[in-house]
Formats: sequence, structure tokens, C-alpha cells
Amino acid sequence: MDDAKRRVDELRRASTEVENHLIDELAAGKISRREFVRRGTVLGLSLPALSFIAAACGGDDDDGEASPTGGTDTSGADPVQGGTLRTALITPAGALDPLTVGDEGGLAVLGQSGEYLAWSDDELVLQPRIAESWSPNDDGSVWTFAIRQGVTFHDGTPLTAEDVVATIEYHLGNESNALSALGGVLSAGNTELVDETTVQFTLDAPNGNFPYLLSSDNYNLIVLPKTFTGDWESTFIGTGPWTLETYTPEVGVTYVRNPDYWDTGRIPLADRSEVKFYEDEQARVIALQGGEVDVVSNFSVAGGGALLGNPEFTVIELQAAQHRVVHMRVDMEPFTDKRVRQAMALALDRQALVDGLFDGKADLGNDSPFAPVFPSTDPSVAQREQDVEQAKQLLQAAGKGGGFTVTLESWQGFEIPDLAVLIQNAAEAIGVTVELQITDDGAYYGDFTYGGSRWLDSPFGITDWGHRGVPNVFLTSALGTEGPWNAPHFKNAGFDKLVADYVAAFDLDSQRAVAGQIQELLLDETPAIIPYFYFHLAATKNVEGVEPTGMGHFDLTRAGFVS
Amino acid sequence: MGRFLLRRIGLALVTLWLLSVIVFVACEVMPGDVARSILGPTAAPETVAALNEELGTDRSVAVRYGDWISGVVRGDLGESYAFRRPVDEMIGQALWNSAKLALLAFVLVVPLGILGGVVAALYEGRAADRAISVGGLSVSAIPEFVWAVAAILVFGIWLDVLPVTAQAPPGSGVLTQIEYLLLPALCLVLVLFGYLARMARAGTVEALDADYTRTAVLKGLPRRTVIRRHVLRNALLPTIAVVATQTGYLIGGLVAIELVFNYPGVGRLLVRAADQKDFPLLEGTVLVIGVVYLLATLLADLAYAYLNPRVRFGGAAA
Amino acid sequence: MTTVDDLAPVVVHDSGRESRRERLRVVLRSKTFLAGAVVVGIWIFCAVFGPLVVPHDPYADDILGKLQPPSTEHWFGTDRLGRDVFSRVVVGARDILLVAPLAALLGTVLGTALGLVTGYFRGLTDDVIMRVVDAFLAIPVVVIGLVALTAVGPSRVTVVLVIGIVFTPIIARTVRAAVLAERDLEYVEAARLRNERAPYVLGGEILPNVLGPVLVEFTVRIGYAIFAIATLSFLGFGIQPPAPDWGLQIFENYGLLSAGDWWPTLFPALAIATLVVGVNLIADGLTQAFER
Repeated sequence: MDDAKRRVDELRRASTEVENHLIDELAAGKISRREFVRRGTVLGLSLPALSFIAAACGGDDDDGEASPTGGTDTSGADPVQGGTLRTALITPAGALDPLTVGDEGGLAVLGQSGEYLAWSDDELVLQPRIAESWSPNDDGSVWTFAIRQGVTFHDGTPLTAEDVVATIEYHLGNESNALSALGGVLSAGNTELVDETTVQFTLDAPNGNFPYLLSSDNYNLIVLPKTFTGDWESTFIGTGPWTLETYTPEVGVTYVRNPDYWDTGRIPLADRSEVKFYEDEQARVIALQGGEVDVVSNFSVAGGGALLGNPEFTVIELQAAQHRVVHMRVDMEPFTDKRVRQAMALALDRQALVDGLFDGKADLGNDSPFAPVFPSTDPSVAQREQDVEQAKQLLQAAGKGGGFTVTLESWQGFEIPDLAVLIQNAAEAIGVTVELQITDDGAYYGDFTYGGSRWLDSPFGITDWGHRGVPNVFLTSALGTEGPWNAPHFKNAGFDKLVADYVAAFDLDSQRAVAGQIQELLLDETPAIIPYFYFHLAATKNVEGVEPTGMGHFDLTRAGFVS
Repeated sequence: MGRFLLRRIGLALVTLWLLSVIVFVACEVMPGDVARSILGPTAAPETVAALNEELGTDRSVAVRYGDWISGVVRGDLGESYAFRRPVDEMIGQALWNSAKLALLAFVLVVPLGILGGVVAALYEGRAADRAISVGGLSVSAIPEFVWAVAAILVFGIWLDVLPVTAQAPPGSGVLTQIEYLLLPALCLVLVLFGYLARMARAGTVEALDADYTRTAVLKGLPRRTVIRRHVLRNALLPTIAVVATQTGYLIGGLVAIELVFNYPGVGRLLVRAADQKDFPLLEGTVLVIGVVYLLATLLADLAYAYLNPRVRFGGAAA
Repeated sequence: MTTVDDLAPVVVHDSGRESRRERLRVVLRSKTFLAGAVVVGIWIFCAVFGPLVVPHDPYADDILGKLQPPSTEHWFGTDRLGRDVFSRVVVGARDILLVAPLAALLGTVLGTALGLVTGYFRGLTDDVIMRVVDAFLAIPVVVIGLVALTAVGPSRVTVVLVIGIVFTPIIARTVRAAVLAERDLEYVEAARLRNERAPYVLGGEILPNVLGPVLVEFTVRIGYAIFAIATLSFLGFGIQPPAPDWGLQIFENYGLLSAGDWWPTLFPALAIATLVVGVNLIADGLTQAFER
């Protein structure tokens, strides 16, 4: 132990202040080993060093929650080499262009032949890919990335740090979809080539989570050759483990193993991979049942009943941050009084929602975007429970004891109509009449701006939010005073201040401290009900080793058939 | 005959133009934003604006319509907003796929429907008639997507004798393609059979009652000959008219079947274009469906005229 | 002389002016009609008194008791939210019996008006209106549905509108064919010679004589409307949840078929099938009566 301690001290001397703080947190038992590794990778500490420190400091191995993990080897059988893997994927929504992809089908295809600087894995841990390592300056306003050598594009050209700079500038200069994460964080011209192997990013403001914004979470940013000018569809150019064989729009893609892939440990087991496009979830589930495919990359509890609880199929469950926001406009009747909003939130039996709508495959939501999956979430904040009596009292106190009528708007997708019906029935129990208006997504989202969108204009609505590696967008854009998607029209200076502190916060300890305050504030104000965060589900048949991510990517390199 | 055809084609062009105007108006009022639907709800506003500008969707729909229609006149259907591929190429493939499915369904349902209708008429009022009429009706009353899932479960999964998707692997022969298309075609047959059999039955009943049939029977011709020579031919007439009016439904209404069987046909393309407000793709798809529909009605009318000498070509008042 | 343009799939020719009472007697003696009337009658009973007699609240969820197979407690089982399928099917008759006839009525009224005008005036009026009708016949329902959804919002009204518009051209063609057969008959000629105005000739003289085919077309269309409502629900433009509409129930639950949960789909589907058959039997009975 003494020897180990000495080596930890050595490592500490070589580390920055921020990194040392992290090690202290672990040693003090404030964070679990898993969280330590996760935070460490963000700060650029190498995995071997992290596991060594973790072992030496003996962090608590248990997360204190029965969470699902990305573990796929439930059968224990080892996948064999060779064969053709067939995967059912939702049809991409448009042309496969790294600049414009914005849907699950498109991003999953980008991630097969393309590669990111880092991979945000199934436990939200960053795995170095094109970037070998990275580190921040003292306040997190300048980040330096070391670019891996010996990587080649599928056309044989070697990858250099110049390609990385060119890729980032290409996206920033062309109003790419990557801006949804990079906007206000990194501006064009601030990505510098330091030398052959080093790239430096100077941020608009300090950001403790910057590496996530360049990882697979910001799915547009596959590294492209500096000569790239467009028409990705014709080549699928990248550095990834799979190279394009054929692409048939709206039907699918076939890939072959890239034998020259740089990471010899991740050269695909299978010879080929066929990704087939399916528009309809029912069709995807049926395809797996009928043996048309071996892997379904994503399915829901409601549509995939045939796959759940059937031993023929291996179901992969992934804790994720995807959720529903039931917004209540704080500037409009009947929700101007926070007691009314609290009453609505208290009417719901969340455990029943989780069990009934998701067969338990979801986390309870506590009316804030801090999902249990985020390490920065403060788990000590009390969970809001159903309390019909208190809800009625709150309505009484707010002068609405006689109840009122309100229209709940949303669109026909996922389990939203079911949730709407359950909210309607729950509201009835506290004397509130809810009428439903369920349209299609075009009608609900409109043109996505205030004044032209039922999503942003309706007093009461349900909105679907996808997974993110960090909660920043949920906080700033969807609840911040200046946020473009602030459906509840929540304007609270105290909240804005806390969120700014949270985004700038560097170490987990202070992030969690601020998170706790934000969670309490949102519970009190209740601009929105966030009833649950549901898991990402994938399924396989006779195949093991598939690694999906909450974002919708799936890694097939370790996947293979088991007899 | 030549004048008749010219007139029909001229009128068809007017109809198609009206159709394109209706779709244009529809696009004007339909909700949603093209760039948004491609980029996803959380895209940055400047990204959306940039893509809309690149695609030209920030121009007014009237300008876009002018652009589009002048292209169409020159034989160019334009490029899909979402897929950035030529619309004619996308529709061509989808139309070919849908046509294969519809053809197989027709090949199966037309003889079946006529046979059922004739049998029902010959046994009018008896058990066979009731079974065919009521049975056919009940079967077509259940939505095709329910049949689709049920058929997949029974034949594709439990019995495991047929594929569960409709798209045969690339390079498959005709027989393999038919094997893949059999289940979706079967669902269409179930939905169409009742209607067709009903028409065929009505036509046969009328023919059986007609003077020429009575004459033939009085002349002492065997029943079988009477039915073959006189009744069948007349029973075919209304059925053909029905087949033509169902073409529109078949091509446009394949949506549900194509979705459940994951078949890249015209129906699926149409829903997608409407969903994404992909103006050139939507206009193109609706137009092509319109052409198919008008062609089918024209062919049916020609066939009708050929089979029924009482109908003459020409538009003179009676 | 008939031209190819004038052919419509169902032309029931109403010759002569028999006494209405005689016709009614034929209808009431028809077994087909009576069988249909019984089936439809049962559903009408459910529509009117359903909410009073069902064993469970058709809207009350019991999410933890979802998808129970049929039992003595839940005769048709429970659906994905734990609602009683039997109660929902019975009460759902109200929705469909309200919406389907209204949609068919809208289509029949509009279609009859168009058919009368085009059949009577011929010439340019006819040509222009029939081109528009053709154009509408060629528009896919998806597009009509989307437009109506935006213009009117999703509701029963939208459903009635969409189906009514879809049916209008079809009925217009049928009525036009019937009018063509009437317009040169003596009584029309006589009215024209008396210098009667066109609206009177159409409404007062021709309409009563084509009412037979119109009535049959109306009944047949109710059957199709029932089916069309389900299809609209599948495309997402239909009746709003939590309504126990049959088409909506099928749409909400058919995805569970692959997991073996057949009851929330089968029972509403059977309900649709029986009602459609019942309505069509009535239509057949009427057709027979008018053909005599």
C-alpha cells in the first residue's frame, strides 16, 4: 500500500490542479470509481493511470443504484470470427452529409465508417480515438488535443493534425448541425495547429465538458480529410473499422472489415456488416423475429414486447438521459401560480408510469433535467412522490379549488399519446379537466420559433428530448431566460446564474453542489414535469458483443455470432 | 378513336396541372420546416437558416412552384430537398417496386374476385353466395395493416415459410421476388377481394337476367356454354371499371403495407415527402400517381369499349 | 348514347315512379335488409345506452394491470393502459356511428350536387368540374389528411371533412351517370318546355328520380367511411385519444400483435367488420328493392 501511495503521489505531482482535485474526491469517497474514471477521461488522464489510482485509493465500486450497464455478455458465450452481421436501423431522414445529419439513422451510419476524436461510450466515459489524449489549461478555456499517429483514411491517405483542424473549421464555416453544441463555445478560427500532432482549441468561455462536444456525442464531427469538399455519400470516407462496400439510398449500406484499422484490438470480428434501413418500428422488430436481421439498434418497450422476456433474444439495456418534458407556461393562465404547477406534478404516480409504460426500464424523473445517469446529479435531492391530497390543498390555496380546464398538446410519437392519457386521468383525480390535442410532429413543432410553434406557444404540452452526454443543453436552451426552446417561458435570474456556474464548473464536486441547488429550485418552481428518463434498448439474436450508446451509435467491432 | 384519345390526353393534362396546383396549395398550408425536419429539432437557428438558403426553401412557395413547373415542362422533376437526389430517379425506383407489388396483387385478386362473384351470382341467395359476399366484406373491413401483422406472424414467424419483409435481396430472380412479395400482395388481395367479388356478382346477376341470356337458354344452349359465352363477358365489364378506380387507391394507399413490410415503394416515399414538406418530391410523387391513375382509367375505358360494343367513342350528346 | 366518360361502377337505374309504400314493403320483407338492420340495431343500442350498461369505465386506466387476457372480469381483456376493452368497444360504437354517417352524408350531399349540375348542364361546366373531380380523385388521402389537419386541427370534424371530400368525386360520378340517363326523358323535357328554371328542374324533377341510387350510394359509403376512419387513424390524422374509437384502438394496439397480445386489436376489428357487413346488408336490401 505504501508503495502504491508513493506512486499515486508521483502521478499527482505530474497532474494539474484540476486533476488532483478529482483524485482527492475519489480518495475522500465523494465519487465512485466509475465516476472517477469518467471524469478523469474528460480531463485527459490516461485509462491505465486512472485505474491504477482508482485501485490504490479504493473508491467505492458501487454506484449506489441498480443501474443497467452496457454489459452485453449475458450469455457468457464468446462471439466467433467471421460472418456477416445484419443490423436493422431506422431509415436516415435525409442525405448522408456530415454537415446536416440530425437524426438517429443518419448519425449511426456516420459512426460506422467515420471516427470521432473521442467515443462517448455506453457509460458516458470518453474513450480516446483519433485524439490520443487531451488536457485543459487551468480554467478550462484552452484545450490541447494530441492527435494519434499512424491512422489512415480508407483511401490510403495518412491522417494528420491538419485534417482535424480542417474538419472543425469546415463545420464551423458551413453552419453545420454541430453548432447546436459548439455554438457559443468555439468560434471559427480558434482551432490552431500547434505542430504535426497537436491541436489547440481556444474557447469563447471556460467549459469543463469541452471534450464531450468534440466526441461522438456531437455526432456530425467525424474526422474528414482536409481535401473533403462534400458528397460524403459517394465514398463514406473516414478512418473507422468499417469501409463502404455498397450504399443504396433508403435500403441500406453494406460494409467490409477495414484490415488496416489502426486499433488492432478493434479490427472487426465479422467479415462484413449489412445495415438495413427500416422506416417502421414494427418492421424492425419483425425483422429480428423473422431472422431478416441479427441486431436491432433501438426499439421501445411499447413496440418491442415480442423481444422482451423472450430468451431467444438478448436485450441490451442502457441507462440514458432521453426524456419527456411536460411544460407549463409560467406566464399564462392557469399556470402562473407555482402552486398550481406543483399540484399537477404531484398528481402523477411516476413509479406506475415507469412500470406501466416502460416495464420498469426507466429512471424516475424529478422535474429537472438532471437524469440519474449524469454523475453530476445530486442524488440527495428528495424524489417527488404522488400526493393527491397535497395537490388538492395547493389548488385550494391558489384559488383553483374548483378545478379548471386546460388543453394538453403534443404529437403522435413514441409513448406520448399514452402519457397524455395518463396525465389526463391523473389530473381528473385532483379536479382538473385536461383536454388532449395530439397532432403530428410537423403541426406540433411548427417552425420551432416563438409565435410559430405549438411546442413553444402552448400553455401545456409534451415534448420529446433525446439523449445528451451532459445536461447543458437541457438547462440553457430549454429552461434559460434566453433559451431558444424555453417552452415554459421560465425566466428566473437565480436559475440562470446557477446554470452559468454549473457550465463553468470544472470538478464534479462543485458541479454537483450547483446541480443540487438547481434541482431544488426547479422542484419548487416546477416550470415543467419531467416524469422519467427511459433506457435505450437494443436487441440481438445469436449475436453477442454489440455496444450501442445512448446517443444512437452502435459499435459492432466486438460483435460476432455465437452458436 | 384518334380524336377520342387526343381529347382524353388533353383533358388528362388539365387534370394533372390542377393536381399540381392543389399540391402547391397544400404545401403552402402544411406545417413544418424543411431544414428543421432534416436537421432535427435541436439544430441551431443559424444552421437551419443556412440549409434553407442552400436548398432554396427560404424562397416563397410561389417562386418555388414557378421554378418547379418550368422544370417539369422541360421534363425535369427537380431534386429532393432532403435527399439531394433527382426526384425522377427516386420515384422511378419506388414506382417500379410498387408496380411489382400491385401487379402481383392484381394477378391474384382479379381471377379470384371474378370467380367468387360469378359463383355467388350463380348460387344467388344460397349459402355459397352468403359466404362469399359476407365473408369478402368482413375481410375487407379489417384494415390492411392488421392483416399485414397477422400474416407476418402466421406465415413469417410461426410457420416460417415466407420472408417477413417484401424486399428481395439484390439480384434475385423473378421467383424469389414473388416469394418475397407474396405476403404483402396477399394482404392487398384480402382487402380488394370483397369489393371485386361484389362487382362481379352484380354484373353476373344482371347478365343472367338479361334478354340475350334468356334467348340463349331458350335456344337450348347448354348452361355452361351460356355462362361462358354470354354471362362471363358481361360480368367482366363492371369489374374492369372497378379495377381501374382501385388503381389510385392501390398506388397511393400502399402506405401501410409498405411500412410494415419495409418495402421502398411509392406509398412510403409519399408519406415521407409530405412529412418533410419536401416540395419537389411531393409534387413529383403525386403527379406520377396521378398519371398512373389517369392511364389506368383510360385503359379501363378502352377495354370497356372494346368489350361492350354499345359504348361508342366520342363525346356527342346522347 | 352513352360515352365512356359516363360509366360509373354502380349505377342503379330507377325506372318508373312506383309507389314508395310498395318499395318500403319490399325492403322490409328482404331477409338481407333485416339481418343488416339487426346487426346495425345492436350497435345503435350500444351507441345510445353503452355508457350506462358497460361493466367498467372505458376511460379509466390501470396501467399496472395492462394487457390482461380476456377473463370473467374483463371479457375482452385490457389494453396497453389497462383499460377494459369490452367497455371501450361498446362505447366506441357511438363515435363511429356519429362520424361515419356524417362523413358519408357530407360526401353524398356534395357529390350529388356536383353530379346533378355536371350531368344536367354538360358542356363546359361539365368538363371543368369533372377535371377538378378527377384531380381530387388522384390526390392521395395522406395529402388531403395533412392539409385538413393543419387547416382544421385534429378532431372528429377533420375526419368528417377528409372522408367527405374523398367521397365527393366518387359519388359525383355515380350521380352524374344517373342524371345522364334521366335528363332526356319526357318529364324533364316537359319541365324545360314549361320554361322552368334549372334549379327547379334539378331539385324538383330529376333529384327525386335519382334518389334511389343516391340512397344506395350513401349506405355503401357509410361502410367505406367506417373503414376510412381506421386508415386515417393509422396515418395519425384520425380521432383523438383517449376516444374509444375502434380504428384508433386498432391503431394503438396492433403493434402488440407480434408479442402475442391479440385481444385489444381483434375485438375492435371484429366490431368494425360486423358493422360494415351490417351496413352493407342494408345497402343490398335497398338495392334489391330499387332494382325491382
